[in-house]
Amino acid sequence: MSAARVLVVDDEESMRITLAANLELEGHEVVEAASGEEALRKVRERPVDVVLADIRMPGLHGVELHRHLRREQPGLPVVLMTAFAQESLVEDALAEGVFTVMHKPFDVAHLLRTLRHAASVPEVLVVDDSEDVAEATVEGLRLCGVRAQAVYDGDMALERMGSGKIDVCVVDLVMPGVTGPQVVERLRGAGQPVAIIAVSGHDVPEMMRQVAALGDVACMRKPISIRELAQVIARTRGRALARS
Amino acid sequence: MSPVVAEPGAAEQLEERASRLFSQHQQEVWRRVDRLLAWLMAGQWLVAIALALLFSPYGWEGKARGGEWHLHAAVFLGGALSVIPIALVWRRPGTLLTRHGVAVCQLLWSALLIHLTGGRIETHFHILGSLTFLAFYRDWPVLLTASGVAVVDHSLRGALWPESVYGTPSPEWWLLLEHTVWMGFLDGVLILSCRDAVREMREMARRRAVAELASECEHQKTRALDHALTELKSAQEHLIRVEKLAAVGQLAASVGHELRNPLAAVRNAHAYLSKRLARPEELAGDARVPQFLALMDRELNSCARIISELLDFARESPVSLQPCPLRPLVEEAMGMVPAREAVRVLNQVPEELPVPLLDREQFRQVLINLVQNAVEAIPAGRAGEVVVRAEGGGGEPLRVRVEDDGGGIPANVLPRIFEPLFTTKKEGTGLGLAIVATRVQRHGGTLQVKSEPGRGSEFLIQLPPATARAA
Repeated sequence: MSAARVLVVDDEESMRITLAANLELEGHEVVEAASGEEALRKVRERPVDVVLADIRMPGLHGVELHRHLRREQPGLPVVLMTAFAQESLVEDALAEGVFTVMHKPFDVAHLLRTLRHAASVPEVLVVDDSEDVAEATVEGLRLCGVRAQAVYDGDMALERMGSGKIDVCVVDLVMPGVTGPQVVERLRGAGQPVAIIAVSGHDVPEMMRQVAALGDVACMRKPISIRELAQVIARTRGRALARS
Repeated sequence: MSPVVAEPGAAEQLEERASRLFSQHQQEVWRRVDRLLAWLMAGQWLVAIALALLFSPYGWEGKARGGEWHLHAAVFLGGALSVIPIALVWRRPGTLLTRHGVAVCQLLWSALLIHLTGGRIETHFHILGSLTFLAFYRDWPVLLTASGVAVVDHSLRGALWPESVYGTPSPEWWLLLEHTVWMGFLDGVLILSCRDAVREMREMARRRAVAELASECEHQKTRALDHALTELKSAQEHLIRVEKLAAVGQLAASVGHELRNPLAAVRNAHAYLSKRLARPEELAGDARVPQFLALMDRELNSCARIISELLDFARESPVSLQPCPLRPLVEEAMGMVPAREAVRVLNQVPEELPVPLLDREQFRQVLINLVQNAVEAIPAGRAGEVVVRAEGGGGEPLRVRVEDDGGGIPANVLPRIFEPLFTTKKEGTGLGLAIVATRVQRHGGTLQVKSEPGRGSEFLIQLPPATARAA
């Protein structure tokens, strides 16, 4: 994807016009809105590929705007911006399927990469040998507003990766046949940038160390809460993309 | 009754203390009288030797024994009678043994002196004097011991050597009885006085005990109070530290947040300009280049303002009060506030206002902040007026008013406007009015606000009379 239609929502004019200028310079088409309400109006008039919105705004704030958009335009990627270091709103936003949250002042190149990635509407791949667990996780993530698909072994995971739609992989470490660490190693070897979230039901420090050594792997212990998983995915997307 | 006695166990405590004080006093009395009688012993020895040398030859004239014998008696017997009680007083002061030993020796001294004067009736009065001295002990058994010694001495010598006691070889049979009766009478009087003295001592001890316990109780209470105060103070200090830390954290968060927005805009503008500058040939036609340069300048100024407000707030510079005419200062402050269309800013400080004592820099900032707030209080798009007035000064309090006819301050906001970090502005650290309030306070003045929603606000600074400060 090269050029996208981006909706920039910020009540601060300085922020809005400088963002718009940078996006336009990259060839994107920019729609500006000074408030959440205006953003909703603009989106209804003509669909966009990705939304970039500030969280703190008078009236309809960024997270509320995202909630409205999820109902009206499910699947539309929303990237939020904030100047706050910590905020419960940020936590909520991350758990509710926002693509990621950017902290001001951010690097413009990082923002451009993130928006391009968000506009491509990537999916999360859940790899677990237990079909029930895999499907439940995918369903939970979908309810949170995160697109996901499930596979039940390493070979299927590699095959799915070939589609190019996957940017985050949630891998169960303990699996019969091809184990988690081996899957991670192969995924990395496939040459496609993918962020890994390693999950384990048992205490397997050796495996944890093994996958951690592969670099840029988030680890979680079962039972995992879907809310937390969604947050980790959104954070990973914000971080991992800065690297690739 | 005193509160001391009302406490449980206090009665026992009081009794114990009183009896201790009584014993102490008694011991002091005994030792003092011991010393007094020791000196008396030494004096009696010298008197006895003088008597033996000067008087005995006449007293015993024409009688059986010669003067040589009397001198020996005075020196050796008198020496023994003095040295023994002096030794007792020296080694065992204040003891029962010493008291009775002294009593025995003192009465034996009477016997010796009677003997040396040849039994003259005058020296018999020495017995009465001795008993009186011994009564100083305020210990009546001592008197009985002494009297016993005198009676035994009179009986024995009266029987064996009457001349030594009565000065005649054949005394009347009732003489011993007469002497004993006189002694008994004196003993009775002295015993009564001893008992009275002891009773008084007990009473005194009791009163002192009450007083001491009361004062100790007070002392304890004072100490407990001191302790409580110390604890309270340290708790307060701790609380202040915690509050300060919390305030610093809050401040850091607020300022951090305020800085991030302008910085983000500057960063975006910078990114754009960098890319554009890579191809200078396209720059000429890009209207965004000058726009973004101006934007960067504005946002960086905004950062600088936030930081200097923070520093102003954090800095606790003392005020340096100098004579400073107010009208020109107000004029200067008004010049610093960006003008707004349709908003008139009027300086109505009278020319003839007495020159107040002000810290020029700090007070100018106060005026700038208040005037700026007043201008901003007028809703955009409508005309308004901001007026600065002043009255008083000299010997009276100086009142400076900054008034606007803007939107006013909502009642729920009003109590909080001087709180640090409280702000209703979109871009503001919430430090402006907090700084104003602190600075007015440092001038020894007060800052008040009156506001009516829809009608405008009035900020009133009251400064103490300049004469009072100069004094």
